[in-house]
Amino acid sequence: MFDKMTLQVLANHARAAAENMAHTLHRTAHSAFVKETQDFTVMLMDRAGDTFAVPMDLGATWYPGLTYGRAIAMIDDYRPGDVAFTNDPYSGHVATHAPDTHLWKPVFVGDEIVAWTGGHIHNTDMGGAVPASLSRSLTEIHQEGIRFPPMKLVKEGAIDEQILRIMSTNVRKPDLNIGDIKALIGALNTGERKVRAMVERFGRQGFVEGVAALLDQAEAQARDILRAMPDGEWIFADYADEDSDHANPCRLKLTLRIRGDEAVLDFTGSDPQLGSSLNVPSGGDPRHTILLVGVYYVLYTLNPKILLNTGLTRPFRCIAPEGSVLNPVAPAAVGMRSLTCARLRSVIFGAFSQAVPERMPAAPAGNNCIVNVMTRNERTKTTVIAAVNPVVGGGGGMPHRDGTNGSGADAAYLRNTPIEITETEVPVEFVRYGLAQDSGGPGRWRGGLATQMAFRVFAPDSRITARNRDRSFFRPWGVLGGHAAGLSDMVINPGTPEERRLGNIDTAVLQPGDVLEIRSAGGGGRGDPMAREPWRVAQDVARGQVSAASAARDYGVVLWDGKVDEAATAARRAVAPKAGGHFHFGPERDGFEAQWTPAAYDRLTAILAALPIHWRFFTKTEIFRRIGVRVGAAGVDAAFAEVCARFPDLPRPAEAAE
Amino acid sequence: MDTTSQRVPDAGAADWKIGVDIGGTFMDFCALETLTGRIASLKVLTTPDDPGAELVTGLRLLAVREGLDPRAISRFVHGTTVGINTILQRKGAELALITNVGFEDVIELARLRMPEMYSLFCHRPEPLIPRDMVFGIPARLRADGTEALAPDMAALAGAVAQIRARGAKGVIVSLLHSWCDGAQEAAVKAEVERLAPDLFVFASAEVWPVIREYERTSTAILNGYVHPRVSGYLAALEARLAGLGVPARAMLTKSNGGLMNAVEGRRDCVSMLLSGTASGVIGAAWLARQAGEGKILTLDIGGTSADVALIVDGQPQFGTGEQIGEFPLYIPSVSVSSIGIGGGSIAGVDAQGVLRVGPESAGSTPGPACYGRGGTRATVTDAMAVCGWLGHSAMAYGQLRTDVALARAAVAALADQLGRGVEETAQAILDIAVSEMFVEVEKLASRAGIDLRDYTLMPFGGGGPMLGAFLARELGLAKVMAPRRPGVVSALGGLIADLRGDFIRTIYADLDAAAMPALRDGFAALAREGADWLKAQGHASAALLKLSADMRYTGQSFEIEVAIDPDWLADRAAIARAFHDTHRRIYDFNDPAGRVEVVNLRLSAIGAGPRLALPETDEVAQVARPARQVTVHLGGPRDIALYDRADLTSGAQFEGPAIVAQEDTTFAIPAGTLAHVDRYLNIHLTPTE
Repeated sequence: MFDKMTLQVLANHARAAAENMAHTLHRTAHSAFVKETQDFTVMLMDRAGDTFAVPMDLGATWYPGLTYGRAIAMIDDYRPGDVAFTNDPYSGHVATHAPDTHLWKPVFVGDEIVAWTGGHIHNTDMGGAVPASLSRSLTEIHQEGIRFPPMKLVKEGAIDEQILRIMSTNVRKPDLNIGDIKALIGALNTGERKVRAMVERFGRQGFVEGVAALLDQAEAQARDILRAMPDGEWIFADYADEDSDHANPCRLKLTLRIRGDEAVLDFTGSDPQLGSSLNVPSGGDPRHTILLVGVYYVLYTLNPKILLNTGLTRPFRCIAPEGSVLNPVAPAAVGMRSLTCARLRSVIFGAFSQAVPERMPAAPAGNNCIVNVMTRNERTKTTVIAAVNPVVGGGGGMPHRDGTNGSGADAAYLRNTPIEITETEVPVEFVRYGLAQDSGGPGRWRGGLATQMAFRVFAPDSRITARNRDRSFFRPWGVLGGHAAGLSDMVINPGTPEERRLGNIDTAVLQPGDVLEIRSAGGGGRGDPMAREPWRVAQDVARGQVSAASAARDYGVVLWDGKVDEAATAARRAVAPKAGGHFHFGPERDGFEAQWTPAAYDRLTAILAALPIHWRFFTKTEIFRRIGVRVGAAGVDAAFAEVCARFPDLPRPAEAAE
Repeated sequence: MDTTSQRVPDAGAADWKIGVDIGGTFMDFCALETLTGRIASLKVLTTPDDPGAELVTGLRLLAVREGLDPRAISRFVHGTTVGINTILQRKGAELALITNVGFEDVIELARLRMPEMYSLFCHRPEPLIPRDMVFGIPARLRADGTEALAPDMAALAGAVAQIRARGAKGVIVSLLHSWCDGAQEAAVKAEVERLAPDLFVFASAEVWPVIREYERTSTAILNGYVHPRVSGYLAALEARLAGLGVPARAMLTKSNGGLMNAVEGRRDCVSMLLSGTASGVIGAAWLARQAGEGKILTLDIGGTSADVALIVDGQPQFGTGEQIGEFPLYIPSVSVSSIGIGGGSIAGVDAQGVLRVGPESAGSTPGPACYGRGGTRATVTDAMAVCGWLGHSAMAYGQLRTDVALARAAVAALADQLGRGVEETAQAILDIAVSEMFVEVEKLASRAGIDLRDYTLMPFGGGGPMLGAFLARELGLAKVMAPRRPGVVSALGGLIADLRGDFIRTIYADLDAAAMPALRDGFAALAREGADWLKAQGHASAALLKLSADMRYTGQSFEIEVAIDPDWLADRAAIARAFHDTHRRIYDFNDPAGRVEVVNLRLSAIGAGPRLALPETDEVAQVARPARQVTVHLGGPRDIALYDRADLTSGAQFEGPAIVAQEDTTFAIPAGTLAHVDRYLNIHLTPTE
């Protein structure tokens, strides 16, 4: 048995190895995606392919619980110096969209594989229908670029040039892809060297047992956290604004069951797989890391000393029915799963918020919008394509602190680009970049404010994309009396006669002199805003973060010349209605759910689940089209009856599905 | 102290050069008697309630013990923590920020990314200027420096009225694109000074005119934030020195490892924030060069942290973006990574029965339990005492004693929780502390892209020699070199440092033929600034001007600094080649056909410091004689040799395990190592086989 007392020594060596891999990749990668956005991961895995160490300084936050086991098993006869890879979301369920290219390498000691090193990079482009391979409009995986099922990329140290040639022929920026892939191979080699050093330091047996102890330690930490929670069942649903272009909402529903030190996350009742690229390919794995990212945040928030590895996932089991948005079958498109994953995290946060309300924050803004500009530089006569800033919103109100402004919670890994750099490189002029007043959900602890960015272009037909925009209709929710946050929006020429609001649309074409303003949602509020200390509200007003009107309306705080009018405030607060319920969703969702009651939506997903998979999204769209003003489950049944009448070929659901 | 002999001061012939460095607990002195080349060292407990008093105490002690005459001090170099402490304790000036309307949230948004990215409770530090003290005025420069909108002076007057009404002491002016042309900012600054002559004003471009608005603004804010305290401290310091009859003007050590005079220090406060840590690396590099070691990993362990740095080819490494408490600093600094583990780091047992060390620290008060100053929780130092490495002699020039019984009591509490032996638990604490440092040093090495096994570890500071050899072994470093006076390396670094001023100009141009005149003009302007600066520092002799440029491939969003030979200003291909080569060295690849951009021109103006040589004695091979045997815990009790540092003469050799005790530190030498004393009295460790 590995001596648990000094487990931290091994944990530190493992983490050092992972950080080494991350720095090697970050240092030698070619593309901005890897170097700036840091959309990559690296990890060390045990003999079964379960991750036991990840870096904490660099990279994305999604994969500490990733297991490569299934992909590893799809290749046999590994030899020293081999590196395998895949980017196919439907083979082995390691990759989750085509741009993510995963590599893994066995670490041999003698004839025995003692560990694996692995990681992924987001390739700038993998070919397919659109540049960057990502668009919400795509409808099948074949439009999203070339796919490689698990295969060897490096054989006993020699890279397979044929594979690189095939890739180069099919993608738009082959040099970037290959440069990044080679950098990742270098990182895997670094990890291999470090694992060998650990085997030398701790002995082969000591290393293998120690790695098992690290997974057990993380599992024990996760179980301790669950055990400290009450047993029970909590249901929560949240919606993405649209399930495809200009269409209907997409619901994700979670039933969280905690018993002792285990938890089941049942996603039954979530939308069927979609006819857009918003699907999340989990392969139905009950512990797929992509389903559990929200759980990592919850666990780390409750115990910041927790080890991040696959051991964390052991007490959890996810149920994601086949043919649903969280477990699509091929050839469903998956490129834009990031948007859905943001909702998936907020669904998990909402469920845990009910289980341990005293320890969880309100909803973060949850729209990690990435803005790209394509315009013409009139001076150099060249076309410029550039990423501008991410437009993200604040964190939710915390138990003892306001939500962070402008970013935070599950968006805290994003970086911006200085205005001075963007203006020097791209012919745009920023009009403003800052925080949006009144965008944070009012609460005892206010939600973090949204970011607001506006810029002007100078060339005709300048094209803007704002990927991952959401929360333009369904607000980030408040909890425990706190209010929902402000909505995201995109407006051309705000405050002028030519003003055009774009709502949830994620692209725009601008003409010379046009100004585009993009605003994210804010973070939800936590606790009754009427209980917020008046001096804080006065300070928010002095800082321009809350308007005087909102101070009076939402917080009951009356200000005269910036000073709190104690008497008027007390009077206002005395008659303020008490907020009821755990969540506050705002008028849009309340209005939507007046028609689409939880029972109605449950009825819808039950009807769809009983249909063959390729009929589900079509039928959902048709039911939405026909429901009219009818409400509730009966309304859904009536609309479905109309759909059946109009489309006699529709296979009738089995009676058992009732 | 090297000698206790009393000397009669001889003001006529005597000449002393003094380096002084303040740490958390001690003020360190390193005094050089020019005539003899003799170096005297001393530590004095700091007096937080009366800053500067310890200076008087120290100089008096040096007078008594070493015969130093304050009137014979021709050079006085000081490293101070007054600036950084002002930031850490948030006791700086109340400031207002004037910036462009529409961009008032520049310091709150920062660069968005936050530490602790897995936590839903992650947050940024509270800005040093609250949002209600930020005032946007209509004004706008374009990226090419042309004015799109002149500053609205009426709006500015309104802002200044509010700033005064709210009691700010100073104003920072930072406008977009002032990196390109500082005139607009300067005009606004002049107007603020006219309207409010009682407020101090700094414009961002005059502090550090670099592109990237958040970085430039926050550097200017740090400067203004510490300005009144630093300025007051320096005035008091100069008065104390004058009172003692010291003829030398005070020089200050800077974050860039160089020096400036105190007059400059009152204005350019931000340059001295890392003065002590930087001069430690300068001192270490000097010692390494003297001993003929080119590649060094320095390890400076104090009570709460361990600072590590790389020395390559005998030279410290420089970077920007060092962390000052919660804030990044964007001026050139000696690259030092700080690790949150020190002698005072506290050990504890988590819910799953795993032992952990740090980041919580007992600091200097109450300090480790064994110091008997009220600490009760087990620290790394206590674990060293329990294992028998400490506690055999007085520490810190007799100002601290180690009480092993108190250390045992503290560690025993954890041992009980774990159900293990006290010594076993103490050893585990040391192993974990070393592994925490291991992680950070490995990261440093991988960021730099170096193979640590080529490096020699140089431990210094009070705690460096205590853990240094154990860390070296964990990292796979074969060699360790401990200097003669590990406790005063920073003070020594100040003593031998050069005057150094850094200057930057952002030009942001493609490296093509059209850019060459801009390059030449830019460097010429920087050279004039550099020469003026040296003149203002009172430096009359020859100056060294080092040129470099921050360059990148078009499309990259970060730059690398490339040293530029002045001859290349007529040879564009040579500049491009140097960039391609440097890019390959750092990133393992390059693109000789790629378009290259020059973002910043940099110049360092250097006025050489005094040329010193340590006294050397020819090595006489001999087996060192231990002072006595002491018992340490090495998996079981074992008697090992304890050597008195003063007895170890040039050429002495001995084998580990052993302890070397000296006034300013204790050097723990593990088994399996051979120790050898060189001609400068450094102790070198190598593996026995």
